[in-house]
Amino acid sequence: MEVKVLTKHYDKPEYRSLEGYKKYGGYEVLKKALGMKPEEIVAQVKEAGLRGRGGAGFPTGVKWGFLPNNGEPRYLVCNADEGEPGTFKDRMMMEKAPHQLIEGMLISAYAIQSKKSYIYIRGEYMEPYRIVEKAIQEAYDAGFLGKNILGSGFDHDMDVYRGAGAYICGEETALLSSLEGKKGQPKLKPPFPAVEGYLRKPTIVNNVETLAAVVTIVKDGPKEYRKYGTEKSPGTKIFSVSGNVLKPGNYEVPLGYPLKDLIYNLCGGLKPGRQLKAVIPGGSSAPVLTAEEAERATLDYECLAEMKSMLGSGAVIVIDDSNCMVDLLKVIMHFYHHESCGQCTPCREGTGWLDKIVGSIYKGEGRLQDIQLVEQVSKHMMGRTICALSDAAAMPAISFVQKFRSEFEFYVREGRSKVKEVIANA
Amino acid sequence: MLKCKINGVEVEVKEGTTIIEAFKIAGQKIAHYCWHPGLSVAGVCRLCMVEIKGQPRLQIACNTPVQDGMEITNQSEQVKETVRWGLDFHLINHPLDCPICDQAGECGLQDQYMEFGLYTPEMAEPKVKKHKVVDLGSKIVLDTERCILCSRCVRFTAEVTKTYELGIFNRGDRSEIGTFENKPLENNYALNTVDICPVGALTSKDFRFRQRVWYLQERESICTGCSTGCNIKIYFNEEGLFRIRPVYNEKVNGYWMCDEGRNIYKFVNKENRLLKAKKGRKGEWLEMEGGAAAKDVAHHFKSLDKERIALVVTGQFSNEEYEALFQFYKKNVGNDFVYHWINNKESFEDFDGLLLRGDRNPNTKGLLQKLEDYRYEQTWAHLEENLKAGKIETLIVAGPENPLWFPDLKEKVQQWGIQLSHLIWLSSAKVQAVDEVECLTWQIPLKTFFEKDGTYVNYQGLEQKSHRIATIVPGALSLSEAAHLMAGEEYKVDMAPILKGPKKNYYVHRRGYL
Amino acid sequence: MFELSKEGVEFVKKEMQRYETKRSAIIPALYKVQEENGGWVSPECVTYLSQLMDLPEVWINEVLNFYTMFNKEPVGKYHVQVCCNVSCAMNGGRELADHLCKELNIKDGRHSEDGRYTLSRVECLGSCGTAPMMQVNDKYYENLTKESAVQILKELP
Repeated sequence: MEVKVLTKHYDKPEYRSLEGYKKYGGYEVLKKALGMKPEEIVAQVKEAGLRGRGGAGFPTGVKWGFLPNNGEPRYLVCNADEGEPGTFKDRMMMEKAPHQLIEGMLISAYAIQSKKSYIYIRGEYMEPYRIVEKAIQEAYDAGFLGKNILGSGFDHDMDVYRGAGAYICGEETALLSSLEGKKGQPKLKPPFPAVEGYLRKPTIVNNVETLAAVVTIVKDGPKEYRKYGTEKSPGTKIFSVSGNVLKPGNYEVPLGYPLKDLIYNLCGGLKPGRQLKAVIPGGSSAPVLTAEEAERATLDYECLAEMKSMLGSGAVIVIDDSNCMVDLLKVIMHFYHHESCGQCTPCREGTGWLDKIVGSIYKGEGRLQDIQLVEQVSKHMMGRTICALSDAAAMPAISFVQKFRSEFEFYVREGRSKVKEVIANA
Repeated sequence: MLKCKINGVEVEVKEGTTIIEAFKIAGQKIAHYCWHPGLSVAGVCRLCMVEIKGQPRLQIACNTPVQDGMEITNQSEQVKETVRWGLDFHLINHPLDCPICDQAGECGLQDQYMEFGLYTPEMAEPKVKKHKVVDLGSKIVLDTERCILCSRCVRFTAEVTKTYELGIFNRGDRSEIGTFENKPLENNYALNTVDICPVGALTSKDFRFRQRVWYLQERESICTGCSTGCNIKIYFNEEGLFRIRPVYNEKVNGYWMCDEGRNIYKFVNKENRLLKAKKGRKGEWLEMEGGAAAKDVAHHFKSLDKERIALVVTGQFSNEEYEALFQFYKKNVGNDFVYHWINNKESFEDFDGLLLRGDRNPNTKGLLQKLEDYRYEQTWAHLEENLKAGKIETLIVAGPENPLWFPDLKEKVQQWGIQLSHLIWLSSAKVQAVDEVECLTWQIPLKTFFEKDGTYVNYQGLEQKSHRIATIVPGALSLSEAAHLMAGEEYKVDMAPILKGPKKNYYVHRRGYL
Repeated sequence: MFELSKEGVEFVKKEMQRYETKRSAIIPALYKVQEENGGWVSPECVTYLSQLMDLPEVWINEVLNFYTMFNKEPVGKYHVQVCCNVSCAMNGGRELADHLCKELNIKDGRHSEDGRYTLSRVECLGSCGTAPMMQVNDKYYENLTKESAVQILKELP
């Protein structure tokens, strides 16, 4: 069963407009929040155990707590550069409920005492951009943004910024570089953005879904929020399901929800006659799960970490037995090769190298040692760079060749895919 | 002060020191390309990985400050393995065209691979193709395939010169260093990018393909190109001088020098030198050795009217030479007609904000001090008046080492040739105008800064010693030697050894088989 | 010589005021230039913007060459971007791109002969649940079949 907390009113078209949003209690939580002390809100978010929904799963309240008390202006930036392959939840949230995001941002901005925020939307999302831009204007007109919001004495300005096509900008410091008008290259850490972020000022970057979740936490209190989910992964989360399921789409379920239920119940299962082969549980950067692992997995940070994969952005890519894993890895490696920003050597060279090795195998020109080489190269790309893109390329590579080694070996030996053979015979 | 252990070596460092700096202090080797002490930290080559006791994850040494009690190593297997692979990542798309690369012999890739490398390359895929032989104007050629994208040169033009010519375009392994639309990189500090380029991506047009670096010797000296007195390293062999690079001096030039300064080696080489002493006038020159010419001056001096002699001095010489020259003048002439030849009055006080000063002399400050010590206070106008009035018959000129920076040189020499009856011309430079004067002239070849010891005082008042390295023009004298000989003293001329060393492609010639 | 329209210049100047630094206006300014320059940004556009914004050319060129949404070469009236990333690849995205090349007479895999279409195979556009999909200029078209995609493109004005 879906549990619609964030997405409760998403089926109502009017929810997109300010009037419609207000009809369902919109901006009431903001009023409540402005009556609270900022620290109380931070404490509630901490207590609720909200973890970043963009991919890394870092506790939001803890992140907020890193802000230094040095009197410098603070920025809040919403990361709407949704680019992790398989993920399309933020787009839906902005299209269906832009005011929910704005309200969440306002509450968060008040909590961290920021006077200025940006929503950084990926360049391709023109439609969400227009919707959010319009919603911000509505919010200004209604007095939810600007000076002395709802008579509370709290001032806040919000703006939206459009990216221009770069996966790496989903990494928070790359996003900030981009927002500064530069190439989207991650910044060296430390300092972390909470200390030196946008224009070297203290900055908090949170995902769309994270910020929207703040509304529910403040509305119902942390206890109510923790009613769903597990002890360490509380709350609900929106999962974007794609690939070989009958009903792909976004589904909001409590964290800890069984992966197989998501696939077979909510998404209608696979096409008739097809068998589950693998699942990528958290966007293309997450190590792939075998069908057997997928049957056992629950959708929470802990279980997937235990399985040496990750929840990531909640993008579940379901792979049935008609797919060739060499082919899919080639697609994924091409992606990281295309998206590496080029700053750090191991990533710049490693992503290209992996793409070429897997490409050679795919073309039937692979050598048996190439399979091991994929693992070796990947291993030396991990934990060696400024940001996690290098790891994000290495992890699927390692997991694909380790878990589907026989398929890779067959491909190298025969110069063609085992799967297509199987399908042809069937 | 903080205490830390680097590969077991205990060192004390200042608060804020990064681990890579501590490695240098401890004298420990560490692989790195992007880090440069004169630039901001980029942290992109990922080679300076170290293991810090108590931290599971390896850290880059360039962006991690030392904390008290830290124990740091880059000798563990984990670090070594990481660095070996890090170097391989640098090399997989590098063309490995070392035999025809001008950087060979002083290449960061060669040196560090030898020290830290993997030695079993795994790359079997075709390399990325990029732009080669990109012409970046009169000074620099770029090969983007050789480039390892350390970004040093980009940071240099952004942080030091603030001219923003260079950037990195595209992304991933298609990234390329370049200027917008291959615009020339012509700022006066551009050649520093060649120095800091750890590979053969940026090469100097002036230097490339003229020598293999292993046939060059290098010695430190002081730049005589302006009153800043940048500390330099001179690269030379028996064929002459080939290039100049800066040497770090915190007080003077930091890590850099200007491109004009790099050209001073050209005025040391024979092509631009006065090679023999000469006596005579236009069309009637008698060649002789420098010492003989100076002695001949001494001989002639007795018959000259001392009240009609004057001395012209440029700021191109050392303190010791001024002292000897003024001693000579005081004893043998006695008047106070001593004049400071300022080469470029209008721009004398200029400063480009970085290093280059309008005063294109290494020792104006030293000269002014000496003039004061000897109470020589005459103005240039006074000389001009006296010349015009015919009151000066003989002029002794301690002229330029580098005639380029004396725009009025030709005009002055021509004028003197008409106004005087005797000219005693002391200079290391070949000056066409002097060969065409009509009065009786002694041209005495001087040594350049490369061929003599001396002290120079820069614009700040900082005294810097410059040491004799080798002899380029055998018969040349220092100004001191010339002064002593012109005074008629018995004086032994000190000659540095004439350059000797392996010939270019010595090994090829010797073996004959390569 | 490229020049922005009066409105274009005003837009760029406003964007330069809009953010904390004028450098942040490079991306919006490049979008505007691209729009007014027929869908791509030429080197002379970069020089023009550099002068208009008083920023180094190299900063603008770095941004131009980093982001995929800026075209560095002329494109057709319709820039068709077909997603070929994992979820789309699993649902026929790559075959769709091949099919469009054939149907729209795109022989070099980039531009149709009449200049009407430019086709790019692109990475994930965040429409994985409705694969395969394509983006035509600003607009998304989802849940495509080979036939529906061709029809959509042919029916464009």
